[in-house]
Amino acid sequence: MSTPVAASVLRYRPPQARKDATAWLGMVVFLASWTMMFAALFAAYAALRLRVEQWPPADLPRLPLVLPLANTLAIAASSVAIQAGLRAARQGRQAAVLPAVAAALALGAIFVGGQVALWTGLWRAGLRPDGGPFPSVFYALTVFHALHVLVGLGGLAWAVVRAARLAFGPARHLGLRLWTGYWHFVLAMWLLLYVTVFLL
Amino acid sequence: MGVGLAEARENLMEATAYDDIQPIHPEPTSFWRRYVFSMDHKVIAKQFLWAGLLFLLVGGALAMMIRWQWAYPGRAVPLIGSIFLRGQGGAIGPATYMTVFTMHGLIMIFFAITPILIGAFGNYCIPLMIGARDMAFPFLNMASFWTFAISLVLVICSFFGQLGAAGAGWTTYPPLSTNIGTPGSGQTFMVAAIFVTGVSTIMGGINYVTTVIRHRAPGMTWMRMPLTVWGLWLTAVLNVLFVPVLGSAALLLFLDRVFGTQFFIAGAASVRGGGDPILFQHLFWIFGHPEVYILILPAWGIVNDLLSFFARKPANWYRGSVYAMCTVTVMSAIVYGHHMFMTGMNPMLGQSFMLLTLIISVPAEILFLNWLRTIWNGSIRTEPPMLFALGMVFVFGMGGLTGLYLGATATDIYLHDTMFVVGHFHLTMAAASFFGSLAAIYHWFPKMFGRKMNPRLSKLHFWWTIVFMTLLFTGQLIAGYAGQNRRLYNPYEYDFLKHLLPLNRYTSWSAFILMAGQFVFVWNFIHSLVAGEKAEANPWQVGTLEWTIPSPPPHHNYDVIPAVLRGPHEFANPEVREKLGRDWIGQSEELAGSEPGAAAAVARA
Repeated sequence: MSTPVAASVLRYRPPQARKDATAWLGMVVFLASWTMMFAALFAAYAALRLRVEQWPPADLPRLPLVLPLANTLAIAASSVAIQAGLRAARQGRQAAVLPAVAAALALGAIFVGGQVALWTGLWRAGLRPDGGPFPSVFYALTVFHALHVLVGLGGLAWAVVRAARLAFGPARHLGLRLWTGYWHFVLAMWLLLYVTVFLL
Repeated sequence: MGVGLAEARENLMEATAYDDIQPIHPEPTSFWRRYVFSMDHKVIAKQFLWAGLLFLLVGGALAMMIRWQWAYPGRAVPLIGSIFLRGQGGAIGPATYMTVFTMHGLIMIFFAITPILIGAFGNYCIPLMIGARDMAFPFLNMASFWTFAISLVLVICSFFGQLGAAGAGWTTYPPLSTNIGTPGSGQTFMVAAIFVTGVSTIMGGINYVTTVIRHRAPGMTWMRMPLTVWGLWLTAVLNVLFVPVLGSAALLLFLDRVFGTQFFIAGAASVRGGGDPILFQHLFWIFGHPEVYILILPAWGIVNDLLSFFARKPANWYRGSVYAMCTVTVMSAIVYGHHMFMTGMNPMLGQSFMLLTLIISVPAEILFLNWLRTIWNGSIRTEPPMLFALGMVFVFGMGGLTGLYLGATATDIYLHDTMFVVGHFHLTMAAASFFGSLAAIYHWFPKMFGRKMNPRLSKLHFWWTIVFMTLLFTGQLIAGYAGQNRRLYNPYEYDFLKHLLPLNRYTSWSAFILMAGQFVFVWNFIHSLVAGEKAEANPWQVGTLEWTIPSPPPHHNYDVIPAVLRGPHEFANPEVREKLGRDWIGQSEELAGSEPGAAAAVARA
């Protein structure tokens, strides 16, 4: 009896890991679902863009390129920072978690600030949501994305508080792991958005 | 890697006990946590059931108003008219008529059938039937119901909206659904309600998908799961993937209505070229076609199980049914174009969608043949759940056959937008999922509430419903075949439809009698709830896990997580009959002197 059991025991992971895996699976299913939501929005963008001859319309203000690029760098750096925080938690370097997560939060806040600057600038220049399909797409996609960033910032703020109490360690970092996954998703959506809406 | 033997042994103990993975939640003691903000899947299931049944009545009343208008156009509506339509002298005006059929469709699909089949029975059956203590994420489950409750509030707000409730049809096509076509807050409230209920559905879907993958009891392999769970799980997968597409369509429409964006605006109101109304149709049907399978897959699964339970035979070709349902799930994503044959779609593309549509009927036919072969030569017990399951097979069969005419472009061009379409989708989506829901209610009522429903009233309800529902929807098919367009306020203003008044009047009276018959069910349901005969643990003598525990189940479902030994339909097994003297054996029941799995082998032989 003991020999066949031993192999399965070595493969068996303790219950906490199993619970974590369940939560992680839930997160993956959620992100798959939300990917479809963004896919539909990008599809709407493509459909509108393919109909018109000139995109963007000549009589509307141009989207700036430098500010969104800076924003892209900020949110990408934020993703790197939170991944470093998760890595530190996994490796047991508990003191290193807080600075990394706090940096991620700050960079995320910078991204939102940059987006607000972008919107106000364009709004003043005369780009309004009711000005045709181009501004519709621009505002709908960027604002919808920014709402996801705000939710993520809430999660990161929670993670900062937890990290300050040294709550994340090699065995217990589920919340941080879930928010990291979400944060990477938000980054991925931004990269798609940046390439399609700003560059192409 | 560095796991000591003692530690390994400890791990194994935990692995076999399974209790740490699914801890017993402490039972809540306060009223609010127990009945209102409950995280118990069984309580949430009942909340969804009550909400769904209530809105089923509302949707039914709206349907009666439509039928009244078609039978007696412009005449004052009895009862409802004197209460709700006083301003119009009790009759339904053209604008009100638009809101009536719109709200009927939206309420029935999103706020009646979805909460009953998916919200109530998904929540109730999945953990119990796979041997789990609760959903994987109980808090998310509670949030799902209360998000749904918010969407119900938005629906009610829509009725009191300025210029009346939503009026752009259940499909909410722009430009009719934009501010130009349907001004007023009623439509906006309804678009918001669709988005919010979508969020609720996704929350539920995440829970169902994860729970089935992670929380099956030991031995509950995928191919031992009851088909009910298969149907609900595949539905959850579709919900998670395609409801977001509807969500984004609703979101963009909401932005168009509230913030003046131009996604779907066309014509004189458009700015710089405007948007594309057809885009909405694409987004809507990319969701909408999976949605019809979302509504029918749970019913398929439930009916497949019930036919086996009450024919006292194993379900015919269980694996075939599973594969067929999986095939339908995958294919449902690539047939949506058949809703858009008449939108100026390239005929080549139309033909491709036609081919795919006709192909998707093949797995549905496999299922159908499996149902027929399951009851073939069975020892059929005509209990109420079985009657409703057989009723579902009948109406779904008719609905499926009429669907072929709409899937083929040549006939669809003639039948498009007629009452034939209405009759078809009412038979498949409405009647079939309605019968599936009622079969489920009659089957699980003893488990849910610990009491039995009155069998005589239940059977009366069945015969009443099947007769008049068939008359009602075949009446629609005939009117459509004769050329009557759907949604006409007064069809008899057209000369070529004048002669259809007697037919429509007869169809309407079928509907009124059908509706009256539903109060037999309402009475039976409420009376049995209070004064029904107490139910034993296993009143139907079937083997799935939920019947091994008391009715109603305790808060944590299972004291010990059961170890599953066999599939869900272990009936008429000679070895079991010899040893236990009965024709069924539970999924987790040990049969003395035989190895696990041997019983199944005997049954196959």
